[in-house]
Amino acid sequence: MDIKAVSAQIDADIQEINSSETLEQFRLKYLGRKGLVAGLTSTIPGLPQEERARFGQEVNALKNKLLSLIAEKQKTLAGSSEQAVQAAGDLGMPGINQSLGQLHPLTQVTDEICAIFSRMGFSIVEGPEIESEYNNFTGLNIPLEHPSREAFDTFYLKNYTKMLLRSHTSPVQVRQMKEQKPPLAIVVPGRVYRPDAVDAAHSFMFHQVEGFMVDTGIKFSDLKGILEMFAQAVFGNDIKMRFRPHFFPFTEPSAEVDISCIICKGKGCSVCGRKGWLEILGSGMIHPNVFKHVGIDADKYTGFAFGLGIERIAMLKYGINDIRLFFENDLRFLRQF
Amino acid sequence: MKVTYNWLKEFVDIKIPAKQLADKLTMAGLEVVSLEEKAGDFVLEIEITSNRPDWLSVLGVAREVAAITRRELKAKNPKPKTKTAKGNLRIEIEDKRDCLCYTARIIRGIKVGPSPEWLRKRLELVGCRSVNNIVDITNYALLELGEPLHAFDLDKLNPGKIVVRRAKAGEKIATLDGQVRSLNNNVLVIADKAKAVAIAGVMGGKETEVTLDTRNILLEAAVFNPIVVRRCRQALGLQSESSYRFERGVDLGMVEQASLRAAQLIREYCFTQEVSFNSSGLVKCKEGSVKLGMARATEVLGANIAPAKIKQTLSRLGFAVKQKAKNILDVGVPSSRPDVKLEVDLIEELARIFGYERIPVSLPAVKPRVTANVKRALTSTVKEILVGLGLSEVITYSLTDKLTLNSLGLGVQPIEILNPLSQEQEVLRPTLISGLGRAVSLNFNQKQEYVAIFEISNIFLGENKPREELTLGIALSGTKSFLLEQGRVKDEASFLNLKGIVETIFARLGIRDYVLHNQGSSAEIRIQDEKVGQMLSLSSQSLDRLNIKNKNVFMLELSLDKVSAFTRRDKKFIPLPRYPGIARDISFILKEGFSVQAIMVLLKEKGRPLLSEVRITDYYKGRQIPVGYRGLTLSCFYSSNERTLAENEIQPTHELLCAELVRQFGVKLR
Repeated sequence: MDIKAVSAQIDADIQEINSSETLEQFRLKYLGRKGLVAGLTSTIPGLPQEERARFGQEVNALKNKLLSLIAEKQKTLAGSSEQAVQAAGDLGMPGINQSLGQLHPLTQVTDEICAIFSRMGFSIVEGPEIESEYNNFTGLNIPLEHPSREAFDTFYLKNYTKMLLRSHTSPVQVRQMKEQKPPLAIVVPGRVYRPDAVDAAHSFMFHQVEGFMVDTGIKFSDLKGILEMFAQAVFGNDIKMRFRPHFFPFTEPSAEVDISCIICKGKGCSVCGRKGWLEILGSGMIHPNVFKHVGIDADKYTGFAFGLGIERIAMLKYGINDIRLFFENDLRFLRQF
Repeated sequence: MKVTYNWLKEFVDIKIPAKQLADKLTMAGLEVVSLEEKAGDFVLEIEITSNRPDWLSVLGVAREVAAITRRELKAKNPKPKTKTAKGNLRIEIEDKRDCLCYTARIIRGIKVGPSPEWLRKRLELVGCRSVNNIVDITNYALLELGEPLHAFDLDKLNPGKIVVRRAKAGEKIATLDGQVRSLNNNVLVIADKAKAVAIAGVMGGKETEVTLDTRNILLEAAVFNPIVVRRCRQALGLQSESSYRFERGVDLGMVEQASLRAAQLIREYCFTQEVSFNSSGLVKCKEGSVKLGMARATEVLGANIAPAKIKQTLSRLGFAVKQKAKNILDVGVPSSRPDVKLEVDLIEELARIFGYERIPVSLPAVKPRVTANVKRALTSTVKEILVGLGLSEVITYSLTDKLTLNSLGLGVQPIEILNPLSQEQEVLRPTLISGLGRAVSLNFNQKQEYVAIFEISNIFLGENKPREELTLGIALSGTKSFLLEQGRVKDEASFLNLKGIVETIFARLGIRDYVLHNQGSSAEIRIQDEKVGQMLSLSSQSLDRLNIKNKNVFMLELSLDKVSAFTRRDKKFIPLPRYPGIARDISFILKEGFSVQAIMVLLKEKGRPLLSEVRITDYYKGRQIPVGYRGLTLSCFYSSNERTLAENEIQPTHELLCAELVRQFGVKLR
């Protein structure tokens, strides 16, 4: 065979190769000790002197072409399995890493809520857990001896008169409105306490986020707008919302806010008590008496306020059915979030 | 409170089915929590908010129904044409502040027996047990009109006088529930001239109870001070339908009407004649009035309600509406609505009936402030670091019990709770350690091999004033195992793990000048001589108390409030070294007891100016090292800002360092 014929055969043969075995056969056929290239080389001594150099170069070029073709083919074939195992080891083995810890689910929910309000321009502020009776009640228009107090049963401190563990985050409203002049747009996350017997739905310690806004021309419709945006950000855009009149001493008009049940989508299930609605927060327009206590002119300014329980939101969001799980701190629970 | 559909219909023409009515009431603020079809009627259970005592009656709810369904309230219970004669009973109210008004109606010749069927049925529908016709009628009038009534057996009272007074110390009374109660000066009683016969507004006395033998009664209708009733109820632990209403406020304008209504029913069903009516403090109620700017309603709500609609709604709710000026109404407030004092109260009434769902949705222009919350930012930075280091955040109770605290032997006096519900809530924790310990214990019980947890929250310190301190607590315990290329590696928790965490946090916060001051089984963390925290391992006593066996628990407590003052966010760029340096290792054996920290200080001092860094790159104990010694490898890095150093330049320094190590610490170079 002459060089041209061998070259043409190479081009044809290489197309047929689809495994490392056939590639090896291909290599032996041409580059083996008794291969075609060796055959060509062995003809050199019989050639006229003047042709030998040119022929030799052509055979060399052919040899190089073969080597690069084989190398190339090896690469394309390397995609197939066993070769990969040899290169990378068994990727079925566990990865080597540093395991991360995780934030408590209540922290994650609080952070998410705060982030939503931050994006809307609210500042995040915190306040003390030990409060005066004045900030927790009187300043919020909750009379000391009135049945409305009963919703806010409270732990009092021994040895410190009129000091208590705040039963809601609302005292921070009083503090902030005394400290700063409107316009105000603030959210307050924090721990609160109420002497409740502990069961699957009650805890004597829990968490709230309070939010309020004070400026000229703040309307009830603004409250609806802000809370609707919030609920959609947390629970999704297809959530429905309803505002029901209610009573809170520190707001007037007051509203309780329900969202359509995220479990049954409003059809009625055990989570929503067959009502199709889930109560998620209390809200309203800040009561003029609260403004009076903090020295804000109620004729000039209006404002809204709202408060919600973090545990409740987290329980709904993650489908947790027992509030005690949050405070037991079982790692098998915590690691799920 | 329960009402029935048919009962409401006696006051207002309802043209919508019960279910629809329930929905409308809910959306008007009278949340119907259950609706039940029963005995040809519908029972609505409504949750009444504490500001609306007027809704604690069928009449009050009916008034609401009228406004929601746009109908008029039917006039009922007109006053009788002939006035009842005044009897010779004397009513003495000791303190008008305790009892605003007291009326007594004497009715003679009654026949006590079972109630008629319709009355029994209706009472039972709303959850009121039938007793006898007299008691049932007083209950019926109470439920219908919201005014508590009480009937005494007249013949068991000492005649002539009714006194409303505070109980005398040591005075006793047997109440209707059969219990004998000791009274004191805080309790308001109804008394005849000899003794207390009822606890005012709370419960009647057993002795003067109406029985089947009763022939003549004294029917009481009165208004007592809400706070006085509330205190009585709390002090005696005695709740009744009456006290519930008096605490929330009873309509003075309803007293006589309720008494008349009961009398009318008694006449009808108990074969009787009415004899006399006496009263004290009964006055025609003055109506207050509140000014309403109709434009203000639009401003506050963001919804436009037509003036005609405003007027109509308010009148249907029982307000007397007068146009005062253009756009301004003078709204007369009935005595049943003490909750309405301000313009916003009227605006809420309008919004409720208009429907919150019809108020549009808008967005306010928020004027943001850019000041960051420093404490929150610090907290979140530290949390991120710890989570990155593999620790899980926990949240434990701020309240705890004294016993567990004492077992920690902290010697701090915690702030006590005045009214804990249980032992677990006795005190506010002055440390995070107890809560973390409990979480560690729980997780070992759940067969965890390794627990690495942290909490950031307040601890509470009782000083002159109670103080809160934002604190980081960490607990490490057990053995962490993980896989490396060469196989499984085990890492048992120790103080050095804690130290590593502290170093990582402080490095991130830009805090350099801190020391860990070793105190045996614990170490103080100090920044610039201020104590900011401590590391400790739990004592065996604490471990026993927490039921943790065969494990050491390492804890850290760090005051973030204190650390906050030392954090440095202002970072400065240091130019990268321009010339390569030379690294030289020193390996040696050191006798136990010598401090590595002292070695480092020495090397840094003696190595100047060429030695730019020295760190420990390896340490080991084991076969090749004699007992009582440890092997250490230090890496010294020599460099200069002016030139590339040559080997022979650093040689003298390096040799000096080796010699000093031998001289001062007796190390054996290897």
